[in-house]
Amino acid sequence: MTHFKDPFNPNIDVWNECGEANGGPADPYAGLSAEDADVLRRRAKQSLKPEVGMTRALESSVMQGLFKTDISRRAFLRSAGVTTALAAVATVFPLSSLQLMAEEAMKNLEKTKLTLGFVPITCATPIIGGHALGFYERYGLDVDIVKTAGWAVSRDKCLNGEYDGSHLLFPMPMAMSLGVGSTAQPWKVVANVNTNGQAIVLANKHRDNQDPKNWKGFKFAVPFEYSMHNLLLRNYVAAAGLDPDRDIQIRVVPPPEMVANLRSENVDGYLAPDPFCQRAVYDQVGFIHKLTLDLWKQHPCCVFGLSEKFIGENPNTTMALTTSILEATAAAETSEGRVAFAESMAPANYLNQPVEILKQILTGVFPDGQGNIKNVPDRISFMPLPTQTMGTWVLSQLRRWNYIENDTNYATLAENLVMTTTTRERMRAMMVADANLTFPDAEQDVYAPVEIQGQEFVPSAAQQFIDSQPFSRTI
Amino acid sequence: MLRSFDVRSALLSLAILASILAVWQITTHVPDTGPVSVVLSQDQMGRLLDKNMSSEDIEFYTSQGVAFLQLEQIASLNLSREIIDAAGGIRALGISVPDENSAPAPGSLFPSPAKIGIELWATVTDPFYVAGTNDMGYGIQIGYSLLRVVIGYTLAALVAIPLGFLIGMSPLAYKALDPFIQVLKPISPLAWMPIALFTIGDSELSSLFVIFVCSLWPMLTNTAFGVASVRSDWVNVARTHELSTWRTALTVILPAAAPTIVTGMRISIGIAWLVIVAAEMLVGGTGIGYVVWNEWNGLRLDRMIVAILFIGVMGMLLDTAFARLQRAVAYVE
Amino acid sequence: MARSFLSIERLTQQFPDGAGGTMTVFENATFGVEKGEFVCILGHSGCGKSTIMNILAGLAEPTSGVVKMDGEHVSGPSLDRGVVFQNYSLLPWLTALKNVTFAVAARFPKWTKQQVIEHSTAFLEKVGLTGDAIHRKPSQLSGGMRQRVSIARAFANEPKLLLLDEPFGALDALTRGTIQDELINVWSQTEQTVFMITHDIDEAILLADRILLMTNGPLARVAESVEITIPRPRNRTEIVEHPNYYAIRNHLVQFLGQRSKELSGMSSDDIDQRPQSVHIDKTADLDIQADAMHENPRLRAISE
Repeated sequence: MTHFKDPFNPNIDVWNECGEANGGPADPYAGLSAEDADVLRRRAKQSLKPEVGMTRALESSVMQGLFKTDISRRAFLRSAGVTTALAAVATVFPLSSLQLMAEEAMKNLEKTKLTLGFVPITCATPIIGGHALGFYERYGLDVDIVKTAGWAVSRDKCLNGEYDGSHLLFPMPMAMSLGVGSTAQPWKVVANVNTNGQAIVLANKHRDNQDPKNWKGFKFAVPFEYSMHNLLLRNYVAAAGLDPDRDIQIRVVPPPEMVANLRSENVDGYLAPDPFCQRAVYDQVGFIHKLTLDLWKQHPCCVFGLSEKFIGENPNTTMALTTSILEATAAAETSEGRVAFAESMAPANYLNQPVEILKQILTGVFPDGQGNIKNVPDRISFMPLPTQTMGTWVLSQLRRWNYIENDTNYATLAENLVMTTTTRERMRAMMVADANLTFPDAEQDVYAPVEIQGQEFVPSAAQQFIDSQPFSRTI
Repeated sequence: MLRSFDVRSALLSLAILASILAVWQITTHVPDTGPVSVVLSQDQMGRLLDKNMSSEDIEFYTSQGVAFLQLEQIASLNLSREIIDAAGGIRALGISVPDENSAPAPGSLFPSPAKIGIELWATVTDPFYVAGTNDMGYGIQIGYSLLRVVIGYTLAALVAIPLGFLIGMSPLAYKALDPFIQVLKPISPLAWMPIALFTIGDSELSSLFVIFVCSLWPMLTNTAFGVASVRSDWVNVARTHELSTWRTALTVILPAAAPTIVTGMRISIGIAWLVIVAAEMLVGGTGIGYVVWNEWNGLRLDRMIVAILFIGVMGMLLDTAFARLQRAVAYVE
Repeated sequence: MARSFLSIERLTQQFPDGAGGTMTVFENATFGVEKGEFVCILGHSGCGKSTIMNILAGLAEPTSGVVKMDGEHVSGPSLDRGVVFQNYSLLPWLTALKNVTFAVAARFPKWTKQQVIEHSTAFLEKVGLTGDAIHRKPSQLSGGMRQRVSIARAFANEPKLLLLDEPFGALDALTRGTIQDELINVWSQTEQTVFMITHDIDEAILLADRILLMTNGPLARVAESVEITIPRPRNRTEIVEHPNYYAIRNHLVQFLGQRSKELSGMSSDDIDQRPQSVHIDKTADLDIQADAMHENPRLRAISE
């Protein structure tokens, strides 16, 4: 039998797993005043009801945010007393409104047991860390996250219904909806799970050859055809006067194999997700030539995707799932969150990477492999709002390189595939409910022009834009 | 004499193994001497102090082997000890650019046998842990793979052996189906996988299908060949004893063709085991193939080699089981 | 004419000759075998002896003509016609005993396991196989022992007709002699009707009541039916002293050496090809017999 672990009990460890393994105290109420012991007993009894259990989970996370460790929490409770602490915490944090929202979301869930796919890269931080840190449970969801070998398999498992939802690359829901490279099934971009967070890595031998104009004949690796990586790399070399289809070679290589391919000099470099960029530095086989945020600030990368069918059949579950992922995304963006998420994702069950690499990536304090130490706090960002500008850019770039054939109305299509409005509403509602929650991107203009490699991209003029680009396959 | 021969060959095997391991250990072993303290000149020290780096911090960083170049940058960026700790610590951060003199990076060397041995011991002593859906003990993972192999292989045997019998007993069917078999047989499991995923959808069923389809052919062709080449004398014996077709099949043709059939089964189980590893690497989730992929994903070569070792041992055990069966049904004409 | 126990009527066998035409092995062959009779068929290789054997066994279908046994049409193999093949045809994955019980169980499906084993063991004993040897696999037995098992299997089934296809062809002379004796021994106890193919003239004289002589093929004929006018029991050492022995032997040698060629290749003209009966008996003239023995002292010395 598992005991409810009350975060207001000074006698027990709530978050520390080792404490549990050693066995809790024989009497969890030993040494407490009669009043405090009584309050705790009552709370324990109440917690058997599911809706109260939910509240307790929320309280626990609030307490964890306050005290970080069991030791400091227990010390505080011992000195202040349980009853006083309960009252004090309730005045500082609007537990009740958080609670109300969580309970609202938990009502009438069509489906509580869910399977989500993820590819083990730091882009999936909110989805993975959300699991490790219990964000899904807060909204009554029992989520299994399944590590997936690559994007093609991810896509196939999404299409055949093995995954209820998945970590996908921004262009993937579009390709899947259009039936490009697979059977057509309408999928939606629900939210960004990250922005930025990629880099161009080159082999050490090219340290003195960092001008893309001189890269003719280079072999590059990207993780998937329908990826931001492919589109950004093409855009980058094209701007330097190289035809990405003729002057360089772009290969699809699974991310973990990129480091090995770089070491064995099968490729000259790659535009890939972390941790495999920082890993190349850690293993001293390559260096970071450029972070992708230097190409496009706050560019999209990976998203959380759901099928139109799932959204239609499970509106409340979709709401709860979106809320939990948005909350995890916001938590990952905070500076404390970055460290906590990095630590939670290191084990074999998740990313299976040395924790220091993950910390370097998430905190943005890292060696670049060229002898420099960099401090780029937004090296990876967690801005969940998927904008129409992003959708339009991706669709038009897919057209530019002939991945989609017919000239389409990019803006209308993006409107249909990218769930900007619903997600923004959710973000607003969450910020109203919890004053401590911030989404810096919630109120941005989703049609705003963006600067990409020094050029202004105006979504309403997407066609003219790609027509004017070098090596465009539209003409 | 034979005893002593066995003993001598075993000793020789051990000696070969020991010398391979010894060479391997010596060439890959990197003594963990810890960081070599960096000594700063008076001038360098002064420049760091000028940039508000405390002498306490400088002492700690240099004791961790961080060079002046990096320290100067840390000081310029105004990175505090707290920030550095949050970013994974000074040693990983202070990593310098590799040159001819620098020691090999932690991930760049092939793991030594001792390192692999430690991982091997860890997996053998705790084979059934469950640390989450994506991290389970090797015992459980091998169990998943074996289960898949057993199901896919058994289905294949249930189809291939009776069908092979029919084909073998009918020269017309043998000739008519031969081109199909010859074309389908050499298709790689990795080629079947996307087709299966596309048509069947479910990845679990797809892996089973791929095992099924890849272990089908050797059993089918061997059964057909074995049955077709049963000596006509033996069939005549059955005929002159008025055995029914069914009894002839069971008491004469089956034992006569058994060695060929079991050879096919042995080839098939080997293929099935190869295929499951490939399929699991592709599809992921569970199984020893997934473990290999997962360790590769984390660039943990030592643990990956342990997984590969398990794959080899399991493959050998499966093969040995069928070798025994083969001996049991063999006969000398 | 009274119909024989086994009657072969107007048997014709043709095969495609590989050049679009047909090759006739034999045509309208007609002969009979009486119940309890031991008949050997002698002829050169390729004359169609084995074809006749296979038709009798039911393993092959003739182009035309019929075989009747006990007045009934023979078609397909049957437990009534046991076969001993030249290459023994033992199932190599079964022990000697199991090779016999396998057949006995097929013949007598209602018997208990015990009965089957006793019956089989008894017949193995009749051919001199006892003890440990019967639990060995054929590969662990010598050629002679294997053929003994094969003979035991055939006799144990108590068929109405026993067909032996050169059973001793692959054996060395010494073994052959022993097993011939055992064959005679079993045969005399069971009164089986036996039809046997052989190349060996002496073997045929020793074993047979009657020898059918075949001319060379194609268009081979069963030309003569030679009665062996030597009383039983016969003994290989004494039989040569019988006055009819050399007379018969010379007749056979002469047929196989010369006339089998002369008589071959003649069309039957759609007439039944019956063998001509040959009866050789010199016992009336004992002096001649005695002279013959004196003329052949060397042979006599060996037979002692």
